[in-house]
Amino acid sequence: MTMLPERAPGAKKFGLVIDLDTCVGCHACAVNCKEWNTGGEAGILPDYDQYGAQPDGVWFNRIHSYETEEGGCSRTVNLPRSCLHCEDALCVTVCPTGASYKRVEDGIVLVDTDKCIGCQLCAWACPYGARELDEKAGVMRKCTLCIDRIHDENLPPAEREPACVATCPARARHFGDLADPESEVSKLLEARGGLDLLSDLGYRPTNKYLPPRRATIPSAPAPAPSPDGKGLGAALLKLLDKALSR
Amino acid sequence: MRPATSILLLTTATGFGFGLLAWLGAYATLGLLPPAARVLLAAGITVSLIFASFGLAASVFHLERKERAWRAFTQWQSSWLSREGVAAVLIYPVAIAFGVAFWRDGQSLWVRLLGATTLIGSLGTVYCTAMIYASLKPVRQWHNAHTAPDYLLYALFSGAVLFAALRTVVLGAPGAMASVAAGMAAVAFVAKRAYWRHIDQQAPLATLAAAIGMPNGKARALDAPHFSENFILRQMGFTIARRHAARLRRLALGIGFALPLLLEGMASLAVAPRASTLLAFACAALGLLIERWLFFGEATHVSALYYGRRV
Repeated sequence: MTMLPERAPGAKKFGLVIDLDTCVGCHACAVNCKEWNTGGEAGILPDYDQYGAQPDGVWFNRIHSYETEEGGCSRTVNLPRSCLHCEDALCVTVCPTGASYKRVEDGIVLVDTDKCIGCQLCAWACPYGARELDEKAGVMRKCTLCIDRIHDENLPPAEREPACVATCPARARHFGDLADPESEVSKLLEARGGLDLLSDLGYRPTNKYLPPRRATIPSAPAPAPSPDGKGLGAALLKLLDKALSR
Repeated sequence: MRPATSILLLTTATGFGFGLLAWLGAYATLGLLPPAARVLLAAGITVSLIFASFGLAASVFHLERKERAWRAFTQWQSSWLSREGVAAVLIYPVAIAFGVAFWRDGQSLWVRLLGATTLIGSLGTVYCTAMIYASLKPVRQWHNAHTAPDYLLYALFSGAVLFAALRTVVLGAPGAMASVAAGMAAVAFVAKRAYWRHIDQQAPLATLAAAIGMPNGKARALDAPHFSENFILRQMGFTIARRHAARLRRLALGIGFALPLLLEGMASLAVAPRASTLLAFACAALGLLIERWLFFGEATHVSALYYGRRV
């Protein structure tokens, strides 16, 4: 059923809180995600041309690195991008088959790969680019929040967290129930202020990002432009440049 | 957005088919079908259902798992794609009943009712198709007030051109349809210009800095997650050079709307009506395919922003 479920009182809201301040952009979360999900309940995550010139494949988690500047200070910001398990998930409501759904009990957005027809409309509906086509099986794939780990009672409680969270060497990723104000993730959000990606679009993502702390060391001033076209030396260089660029 | 051939054919062909059905329904509703028009109406309904079927068959080729296509009829409560499928299938028995009723009894109350239902149903199907795109918030060129009315206008324009050609072939003259088609061509021309003006002046949905949570800062993509193109970039990162877009826009306007306007004008003045209306149809089909290609090719998806692409 692709109608979004009414949230039951007391239902959990599982999600990730990702600290952009401490993420070092090592891609370990993406690698462990791929490793776990290619063998876990989700089945094979395909690769195409993996030893060729244009390697490609399905990944649930992709890490971007940005050069940023704010208030005269520059810094690198690394942004892991995966499904945000939105409360107003347009990817679910556009699905014509009922393959895309949001779970009532914990808010996780999943694809039933036995029903998906591979029309790819859900990928168009997602502003975060979180859904990718499995070109071998012809169905859409996406982050499951490691549903086969977090609910696995055979695992010790401390290990019932998504593979990306378990592996993060910088402890930049946190998993928990965002509906519970006493949970560790809710307290983190309280302390640091959570950030919704592209909040203006109104998808109300469950996953939150902790904003990078303001950099305080001013960037070095940009080098002054070199004097040009003055004096004999510059004139000679210009002549030489002209001759050589012919 | 990548312009997929299957979707270009789907939206263009169903536009012709359901547009023609809408005009036939409108004629019957207003009681304008002469009793002698039995063959014309039968031919019209057949041709329109052939166009619609061709478009719907093309859309199935867009699916990765075609054998599961029937599942797309189940989620009409939330999904415009599902509603399009349901509406498109429901229109067939109505249109056939409409044709049969007129064949048997000529103009009657039943024909009027079935004609009105055909009119509403066929335009409703086109509206569902348009809403698939108009409801996608990440694509600013689609999620706006132009998309749905434009799709209806282009369907009515293409249906009128097809009707004029068909009427000329069956009855020897286009009748009032040539003037109607010329008028629709002019309206469609203006609507397309207005749409392009709108998307050219639209602000991007977000800047890269805002998309990563630094609305007051500046940001530049440094390292992408992967070195080769992936599904997201192939589908959503498709871009077309401004220079090519401008040339294609001129072609779409000229071939798709201006030439049919001229040719239908000639036909309405009884200048070579058969050749004019048939050529007008060919021009409209080619021009609308170019127009539809641009509708996809010029659309940008906000997710490409994370890769530092212009949206």
